[in-house]
Amino acid sequence: MKEIKFILNGKEVSVKADPLKRLLDVLREDEKMTGVKEGCGEGECGACAVLKDGVLVNSCMIPLGAAEGSEIVTPEGIRETDKGKCIIDAFGDAGAVQCGFCTPGMMMATEALLTINNKPDESEIREALSGNLCRCTGYDLIVKGVQIASERGKDLW
Amino acid sequence: MVGAIHELPIKGWIDTKGVKMGARISIPVRRIDAKEKAGGWTKYIGDYQFKNLQHGRFLRSERARAKIIEIKKPDFPEGYYYIDASDIPSSGKNNIQMIKDDWRVFAVSDVKYIGETIAVILGPDKQKVLDLLNRIEVIYEDLVPAFTFDDALSCKGGAVYGDNNIFSEYLLNVGNVDNAFKDAVKIVEGKYETGFQEHLYMETQGLVGAWEDEKITIYASSQCPFYIRKSVAVTLGVPVEDIRVRQTTTGGAFGGKEHFPDVIATPLAVAVNKVKKPVAMIYDRIEDISFTSKRHPSKITIKTGLDKSNNIIAMDIDTLVNGGAYESSTTIVLQRAILHGIGVYNIPNARIRGRAVATNTFPSDAYRGFGAPQGLFAIEMHMSHVADELGLDSSDFRRKHFIKTNDITITNAKMHDDVKLPEMFEKIDEMSDYSSKVKEFANDPVKGIGIAFVNHGGGFTGNGEQAIIKGVVKMKRLEGGKAGLYVSVVEMGQGLQTTMRKIAAKELGLDYEDIVYDNPDTDIVPDSGPTCASRSIMVVGFLVQECAKKLKAKWNEGVGVEAEDVYKHPDGLVWEQETLQGDAYPSYGWGINVIEVEFDPVTYEVKTTGIWAVWDIGVAIDETIMQGQSSGGVIQALGYASIEKCELKNGTFMQHTMADYTIPTSLDFPKVETCFIDNPYKYGPSGAKGAGELVFDAAPPAYAEAVQNAIGKRIYDIPVTPEMIMEALK
Amino acid sequence: MVDSYRPKDLKDALSIRAEYNPQPLAGGTDLMVRYQSWSGTLPLFTKSVMFVGHLKEMKYIKKEAKDKTVTLVIGGTATLTDVANHPDTPVVLKEAVLSIAAPALRNNATLTGNICNASPAGDSICALYALDAVIVIEKSGSRREVPITEFITGPGRTILGPDELVTAIKIPLKASSVNDFTKVGTRRANALSKLSFTGVADYKNGRIDSIALTFGAVGPTVVRSVELEKKLIGLSGPELKAMIPKVIDDYSTVIVPIDDQRSTAVYRKKVALNLLEKYLKELSSHE
Repeated sequence: MKEIKFILNGKEVSVKADPLKRLLDVLREDEKMTGVKEGCGEGECGACAVLKDGVLVNSCMIPLGAAEGSEIVTPEGIRETDKGKCIIDAFGDAGAVQCGFCTPGMMMATEALLTINNKPDESEIREALSGNLCRCTGYDLIVKGVQIASERGKDLW
Repeated sequence: MVGAIHELPIKGWIDTKGVKMGARISIPVRRIDAKEKAGGWTKYIGDYQFKNLQHGRFLRSERARAKIIEIKKPDFPEGYYYIDASDIPSSGKNNIQMIKDDWRVFAVSDVKYIGETIAVILGPDKQKVLDLLNRIEVIYEDLVPAFTFDDALSCKGGAVYGDNNIFSEYLLNVGNVDNAFKDAVKIVEGKYETGFQEHLYMETQGLVGAWEDEKITIYASSQCPFYIRKSVAVTLGVPVEDIRVRQTTTGGAFGGKEHFPDVIATPLAVAVNKVKKPVAMIYDRIEDISFTSKRHPSKITIKTGLDKSNNIIAMDIDTLVNGGAYESSTTIVLQRAILHGIGVYNIPNARIRGRAVATNTFPSDAYRGFGAPQGLFAIEMHMSHVADELGLDSSDFRRKHFIKTNDITITNAKMHDDVKLPEMFEKIDEMSDYSSKVKEFANDPVKGIGIAFVNHGGGFTGNGEQAIIKGVVKMKRLEGGKAGLYVSVVEMGQGLQTTMRKIAAKELGLDYEDIVYDNPDTDIVPDSGPTCASRSIMVVGFLVQECAKKLKAKWNEGVGVEAEDVYKHPDGLVWEQETLQGDAYPSYGWGINVIEVEFDPVTYEVKTTGIWAVWDIGVAIDETIMQGQSSGGVIQALGYASIEKCELKNGTFMQHTMADYTIPTSLDFPKVETCFIDNPYKYGPSGAKGAGELVFDAAPPAYAEAVQNAIGKRIYDIPVTPEMIMEALK
Repeated sequence: MVDSYRPKDLKDALSIRAEYNPQPLAGGTDLMVRYQSWSGTLPLFTKSVMFVGHLKEMKYIKKEAKDKTVTLVIGGTATLTDVANHPDTPVVLKEAVLSIAAPALRNNATLTGNICNASPAGDSICALYALDAVIVIEKSGSRREVPITEFITGPGRTILGPDELVTAIKIPLKASSVNDFTKVGTRRANALSKLSFTGVADYKNGRIDSIALTFGAVGPTVVRSVELEKKLIGLSGPELKAMIPKVIDDYSTVIVPIDDQRSTAVYRKKVALNLLEKYLKELSSHE
């Protein structure tokens, strides 16, 4: 057990845990950030996606010790920002949400995409979402959701 | 009227291409659960905090068929438990009461498949539970297992079930098949096989059992809270009222959470009954892929006799499905496979023999379509092969044989539906340019296009809604101009929380957001039946509509006034369950898919370049939600047809991680161009029929036909892998 | 439960590695899956772990010129995204890296980690074999450089000593006019390889001056035969064209794949040879 500090959604937190504990488990169990979901535990599905130092990563593949000193942002950290609200509203209007289990991860992937490319075309969107698996939607309406977010949020990113 | 519908802010997405939509109810609203889910506020079973939570994990069989000689256990520390069949109360029984009750809660003295539950190990610390589990040694005496259809039919190693491994057998017959074959001038035969399919809902199986208010409460990611209640009550030998089941928001199900949660809930309840503490059984992904039910594999042989005008005069079909080690719902799956066995065609003399076999594989169970996709794949491919054999256009040949209203079905009843397949074909032809592409691609070395025509019976087979379910719904006037809706069907991603509210709100003249509809709790809602069989909107939604009318009539009696509605079978429908004769379904959804592909002659990989879908689902309760169902169902079906390979080797699924069992990503397939035609059904809410399974049915044969046209070789099996294409081209 | 270390810099890392021989972990994308246990429990590492992903001294990609050769040096903690985005990354490596998984994984996984994982199906390794990559290995007080073909000795096996770290990968930037990296995966994106192929070659005065042909996931390590390549040096396009059937025959003896849960041996071999044939045809039409 070690005391490990990192920045979580803008606030410094200190977690006493084994440094090999998965960041996913730290976020869900120690920090109660249950917007981060476990879909596969092997980096395939993106349900546990968070931002680490500004880029999209899968929290199931990161041991806590590797996140020491990093800035971690979970869905809880963006859902009430202007960007987060824009994505959530766009997903709602597009019909992008079905069972919802993949959706917080999709929101994180969308945030990461729009940060580096605020006018993505359909193929760029599909590429950016390719690590976030969804079994309900067939992706069409999620792609549409990202398009709507990009149109409406052109001044945000 | 519809109260305060929110117009979709971005126009033009739902492109109905000039086809008239039905009632105004179809205008999309923002899903009631969208915001909370998208932002991660919504809690799923793994997100809840339970005080003093214990973690359970199954001790599972590592052998496909063996006697258990001995189980060597380490000493369990204080607070850690080994729960097995001996912990079932004497009033209960070691059976899981599903459709059949042959599946055992815990294996005792022998095991019948790899992964069969032997015991639950539980305690407060997961690592310690795992360490205990790893120190348990089960001594087996191996027996000879049966895995394949041939193994099953030859009773390899002795029968797994009964004395012949046949769970059930049916014979459907219309006309006089043997005589008709005598008149045939040409006979075409083919054998078609489909594989296992894993549901791969994004949220794995998960239940928590708790001891609350002196009774067992099961919190479940589930399609059917009342199924769980019944099975747990039977296992423990207590009245159903002593068990409470609360559905938690369910992260996808697709049939995988219809019966299978009972397989977890029953041993879990035995454990909770013993330790009187909350216990979580939440699968991780590897466990979920390795040890949950899959879609039934099938092997279907079809023989067709034709007259000199190339009309089909006789058809003889032999259908086999692999049910695995226990029957569970297999017989009903077989029924659906054969009831959809001649597809959308009028065949004057047809016979279908259907058999469900037992093997030492993980028991197969419900998966979106419930047998129909298997039957429809076979008949659609066969029709394509017959056309090819005759040198005819595949779509023309099939269209010539379309069933029409009042034609006789395979169960010797009249087709009551207003069949609009010809109009639907015109529509999809216009959308996809199908007819001209067929000609254009005929000599193209890499491009191909395929089409498939399907229907899907809505609701339970025959009179099941009346005889078995008898669904009940309740509504109540609440404070503040709101109304409560009490039903047992669940939201699992298909949009029910929104569509049910729309149906109720339309009758009551309320905003859909003013309808209160929580995740079902068996202590609160009446039993409106399970969430399956494309019945929720068509059957339960209709009850909601009728119940809302009753509540509206009583509305002025004040807050607290209630209304109830109970299922009544539509007049004039007859059914004989033993022989499967009569009106097999109250109505059908209808669909056509066109798929366009391009294959790479170097790698044999197939790229899908276009997908079109036209559906008759009566009326869409919400166009956007139905667009989501269409895209989602078609893409899931294309996974089944192409990349979702699930091979059984010595009783184990070889693909057991998400990396190896590959489902489609956002880059695997293009957008599904969808259109709905309007064809209201009298006994559906605002004319709506079942839709959730229909959208799965057409893509596999349409895809396989597109590939066969691209490569110039016939396809008989799915998934169509590049490996298979390479072999076909050798 | 095992110990873990978080060195403050590379020097510190090398001394911890020398003293305790921990398993280095950069992105974690391979190791966290390999040692994955029940969700909510610790991964089952068999020995202590040293985090190295944060070491800034190794997070770079730079060009070095020496004696007319230009070398791209990729630091030990550069991620796959860094490699894909760098303007001087050879095209086959860029395509190989972009064929791996999806953005979230590439943002975290390192190229060095890929190499140390030494999977025969490693897509980047297939490209690096063709590019004559050299692995820079350091331990406290010494440094050595070995070609990647010698670094990887078998599936999951390398020559890396228990006290050593891979600190960089060097890629000589050579003229190469006909380049192909093709991955045949289990699906169109976010897929593991059934097999992969890399071809790089260049002509000088109308004759093949350099060529490298490598195959991933068709043997215990990435397959490259310098001997067979040598037979192609000096050929003109038409001469190569005439020789293609013979070359395919030659390669059919060195490609010996297996059946597994992702594909079959027969398919892997056939497609590997098809890709080779396609590449050689393309190459023979250039000059």
